[in-house]
Amino acid sequence: MSSTWLTTRAWLLMLPLLAVMIAVIGWPMAETVRLSFTDAKLVGLTGHFVGLDNYAKILSGSNFRGTLSTTAFFAIVSVGIEMVLGVLAALLLNQQFYGRTLLRALMILPWALPTIVNATLWRLIYNPEYGALNAALTQLGLLGEYRSWLGEPGSAMAALILADCWKNFPLVALIALAALQSVPRDLIAASLVDGASALNRFRFVILPYLAGPLMVALVLRTIEAFKVFDIIWVMTRGGPANSTRTLSILVYQEAFSFGRAGSGASLALIVTLMVTLLALAYGALVRKAAGSAA
Amino acid sequence: MSALTLERIAKNYGEVETLKGIDIALESGEFLVLLGSSGCGKSTLLNIIAGLAEPTSGDVRIGDRSVVGVHPKDRDVAMVFQSYALYPNLTVARNIGFGLEMRHVPAAEREKAVREAAALLQIENLLDRKPAQLSGGQRQRVAIGRALVRRPKIFLFDEPLSNLDAKLRMEMRSELKRLHQMLKTTVVYVTHDQIEAMTLATRIAVMRNGVIEQLDRPEAIYNRPATLYVATFVGAPPMNLLSATTTPEGLSIAGLETPLALRHGLEAGRPVTLGIRPEALGLAARETALAFHAELAELTGPELVVTGTVGGQKLVASLPPASGVSPGDRATLFAAPEAFHLFDPATGLRLNRDR
Repeated sequence: MSSTWLTTRAWLLMLPLLAVMIAVIGWPMAETVRLSFTDAKLVGLTGHFVGLDNYAKILSGSNFRGTLSTTAFFAIVSVGIEMVLGVLAALLLNQQFYGRTLLRALMILPWALPTIVNATLWRLIYNPEYGALNAALTQLGLLGEYRSWLGEPGSAMAALILADCWKNFPLVALIALAALQSVPRDLIAASLVDGASALNRFRFVILPYLAGPLMVALVLRTIEAFKVFDIIWVMTRGGPANSTRTLSILVYQEAFSFGRAGSGASLALIVTLMVTLLALAYGALVRKAAGSAA
Repeated sequence: MSALTLERIAKNYGEVETLKGIDIALESGEFLVLLGSSGCGKSTLLNIIAGLAEPTSGDVRIGDRSVVGVHPKDRDVAMVFQSYALYPNLTVARNIGFGLEMRHVPAAEREKAVREAAALLQIENLLDRKPAQLSGGQRQRVAIGRALVRRPKIFLFDEPLSNLDAKLRMEMRSELKRLHQMLKTTVVYVTHDQIEAMTLATRIAVMRNGVIEQLDRPEAIYNRPATLYVATFVGAPPMNLLSATTTPEGLSIAGLETPLALRHGLEAGRPVTLGIRPEALGLAARETALAFHAELAELTGPELVVTGTVGGQKLVASLPPASGVSPGDRATLFAAPEAFHLFDPATGLRLNRDR
């Protein structure tokens, strides 16, 4: 059988899948690119070609830049907390103690919940009239009167980050825990005999085995945090006063709330491009980390 | 004063008694090999000396200081592991100097010590590499170097050669022997390899099920094994074991008509297990003779290993290749009287009255 026939047959076999992919990914993508160069409205989707006008307006406007920094703030702070918390939890759960298996299983629970459920749960906790947080804090005497945690620009972002960390640190902990199991016992023993302190043991023995997997967790979580939508949409809808409006929320508002399909599409493409660049940069980092640990 | 004293060391893991009362006193400069198959407790014993495990009862003394409950780093011991256990992201130089670095030895002094150790192990050209860039043999040299620079009271080796291929293992074995002769260090070395034990040790402790079966010099372990287990564990091919009964003049081997003339000093009519090493048998006429029926001959190069029967019982003899014994041959095998080891079949203990 000739290799050309093999190649042809391979393509033939893939054709149905390709057709589906073009229909559900390729065509909408192409449409988005086309729309981004028009002033099309959501209704009708017909508009005039306006060239790079949409892009120019978005990139020069303060809306975009403000939202970008809100997004970056959310991503950096919540992912940072998740990484630290996750590693600490993994170190703890890697110790030998009674009930460890149960605790390991319990820790996964927040991450196993659907984001919408988690968000709804935290919205109830933060509720200004009957929320558990208000009740707990006032009963402990730490808070004079009930506050609207999600209703004040000062606290809404912090409340969101807390809810996001609660849900996502278990993923980091899980990855770190798996990595910790790969640290050779002999190496720990050698460092004990060599007289390394706990801190030095972490630095020279544990970290080399943790770095690669943690980098993967960092990549996954940053990209997810950068395009965060659902948890914010359920809890604050980007408010109050746009204080929790991230890029994905902005895209949604532009395209669907204001019906500006053209500039919404441009915005979406800008966000996509940024996430892609982020993924590429991280990919290079991961490959580098993997190379040094081997 | 002994360099290392182990007194009635016992270790239980839950219901399992891993060590059941180990007593060893080691003089300075001795090379003690803990020899046994896996699960005999030899590694546990090493970990107890290192401080990586604590004994359930008993005392460990290094010099005249009891070290039970003392952290591994404060015991003045260094350890070399089977897996080398090198720090993967540190260079060879920093790996070797790690123990000194952690003890805040000044950099200049540290570097000097590292250079000396590297020179001794012939790895000076590798100092800037990472462990991943080294071969197995080189890694183990680095691991030994890391132990050497510390100049500890006791060196602990946990099957250090087991991950190396046969040729390299022999090379490193000689290397370790050379280092020990040169540095006169005190060593405790764990292995399941009897050749390593025989060649390296000044004394061997053969362990089984958490007890020491015999603790003696290598030649005594080989020539006068204290138990059946020791007799069959040391030596390759293993010692032949034949069922026999004592007679006033010697031994009556089951299945053999003519009794064997041998002075044994035991009461007549006693069942014994007779042990003869394959390499103790020969075709040259000696005091004691055995009628042998050859069934299989394997040439290993220096030896012709012949398997056959004596009175229906299996027997292996290592003969010179020139002997030309082939399957089907009937031959008379001879051995010196001191080559016959007598054991109690029930207890496995040695019965010979040794001179």
